[in-house]
Amino acid sequence: MSNYALEVHSLTKKIGKKTIVDGVSFTIEKGEIFGLLGPNGAGKTTIIRMVVSLINRTAGEVIINGHNLDESFTEAMSEIGAIVENPEFYKYMSGYKNLLHYSNMAIQKIPAERIQQVTELVALEQAINQKVKTYSLGMRQRLGVAQALLHNPSILILDEPTNGLDPQGIREFRDYLRQLTEQGVSVLVSSHLLSEMQLMCDRFAIIEQGKLIHISTMNESIGEQEQAEREVTFETSNAENALALFKEAKFVNEIKAIKGNFITIKMDKESIAKANRLLVENEINVYEISSVKATLEDRFLELTNKEKVGQTL
Amino acid sequence: MMALIRNEWMKTFAKKSSWVYLAAIILAILIGGIFYQKMGPDDNQNWQAESQAELASLNTQLNESSEMDRRWLESRIEQLEYYLEENINPNAKNNWDFMNEVVIGVSALVTLFVVIVCSGNVAAEFSDGTIKQLLIRPHQRWKILLSKYISVVMYSFLLVSVLIAAGYLIGLIMFGSGDFNTKVFEMGIDGQKVSEAGPQFFQKIIFYLPSLLMIMTISFMLSTLFKSQALAVGIGIFVLFFSSTLGGIIVMLADRFAWAKFLIFPHLDLTVYALQDEILGNITLPLSLAILGVYYAAFMIITFGFFEKRDISI
Repeated sequence: MSNYALEVHSLTKKIGKKTIVDGVSFTIEKGEIFGLLGPNGAGKTTIIRMVVSLINRTAGEVIINGHNLDESFTEAMSEIGAIVENPEFYKYMSGYKNLLHYSNMAIQKIPAERIQQVTELVALEQAINQKVKTYSLGMRQRLGVAQALLHNPSILILDEPTNGLDPQGIREFRDYLRQLTEQGVSVLVSSHLLSEMQLMCDRFAIIEQGKLIHISTMNESIGEQEQAEREVTFETSNAENALALFKEAKFVNEIKAIKGNFITIKMDKESIAKANRLLVENEINVYEISSVKATLEDRFLELTNKEKVGQTL
Repeated sequence: MMALIRNEWMKTFAKKSSWVYLAAIILAILIGGIFYQKMGPDDNQNWQAESQAELASLNTQLNESSEMDRRWLESRIEQLEYYLEENINPNAKNNWDFMNEVVIGVSALVTLFVVIVCSGNVAAEFSDGTIKQLLIRPHQRWKILLSKYISVVMYSFLLVSVLIAAGYLIGLIMFGSGDFNTKVFEMGIDGQKVSEAGPQFFQKIIFYLPSLLMIMTISFMLSTLFKSQALAVGIGIFVLFFSSTLGGIIVMLADRFAWAKFLIFPHLDLTVYALQDEILGNITLPLSLAILGVYYAAFMIITFGFFEKRDISI
């Protein structure tokens, strides 16, 4: 068996003369949550739909858990569980019948208990025999998760999964995903909600105008390594004196900003403690020391060189 | 494959409309039966005397009437003479007369429902967005489409079976059991001919089935080509209603252009062969069937070819 849950090699999609996706390659390890980021229209959805074979590929290959999509379609597709945008169901049938419908489509026979099991996992026992048209969006999303997990897939593919979910729903959803990855399931997720992706993903790729322009782990990207210098903000009773002390101190490399009683300095982890002691020994009260975390958004904007992009792009 | 068909079957019967169509057919037959019973001439015992009287009056009219009326009068006289000769009460109605005259008429309703169901089938998956969830399963697309096609064919034949069964039962209750071989007059383009009600009914049904299969296939193709359910159903019904009109136009065209005979419309309604042996001058039933066969293959290739290649981006 392959080491990777998903391998995508030089995936390309052309419609007419327009290139929608241009030679995108990436791999996803087992148990990893991998995010595809990018502004609307960058080609994230097209990539995902090519992986789940809803859209034909112009070029490139997709290997799912060692099965090439072109050579062994059935085996490859059996490994996938997916929610493509909002999960749509047959509204005139009950949630249970919808799940039964999808379980009938699996190659490996799914035991009846499995439907019960996934229903419990997504906490829909109460509503499972009601028609789907009576479900709220959050319930539909949960039913979507249930249908995607029904056949124990090795990779979950989610396109904009948190669209239309309320904050609590998003939180629950994230917890499900974490639980699943602990069981070795990998996740490919696309979104334009950066803050959401920051909380969810282990690794991510940035797609812009159909090209993969950056790929890294979330920690690398937002600078959380132990030894790296980081920006730290001190709130003190006397900013002027504190500043003077910092300027003399050897361990302070760079003073980034001063704003009222707040001083932002770039330093490594050990220096934070030294700076604190220095202030206290000089009878300056320290109210707060906080590290300024670079957000994925900052990183994203830096990478895509976009000015004035709102939070949801 | 069986599992896919079972799924489609489950979805079909989860929709209320599928049951409504079945009920509507039974209701239409019932209404037809009531009208058939009330509207026709009375079933009285002295039909022989009445027929003689009508015959006499027709004969006197025949001498005074114009060329146009004469043909009709002559055929009516021929009918009455035949009834008297064979000692058949022309006004008597039994369940086979009912089947042959009324139940066959209700088959138009079956066709209409078949068009609605078939043209809605795939298009609904697109307009509801469920097609996405359907095609990310480990099944080739053609298999999924074929399972849908088979399920609509099965549903259509269920409608036809209900038509025949309900027609027979309602006929039996309202008109009593009659002779399967009751003699009836049927009007064709070449004039009238004497046939037997029961066999004539089944002959019409058998000629109806290929047409139904064609209309089913056309609707199914439309359903696959259009994402919108409303558009697919609309065009399907349009084709259904205009095919007979177009068929009429093509009969005229066929006199001048030989190729017009090979258009699909005049062949869609094969029931004409229950009344006559040739249409459009020299087209016989096997030739019509062959033409339909070619169209059938073409429609299937378009439907499946298109579906296999299509990008699902809704």
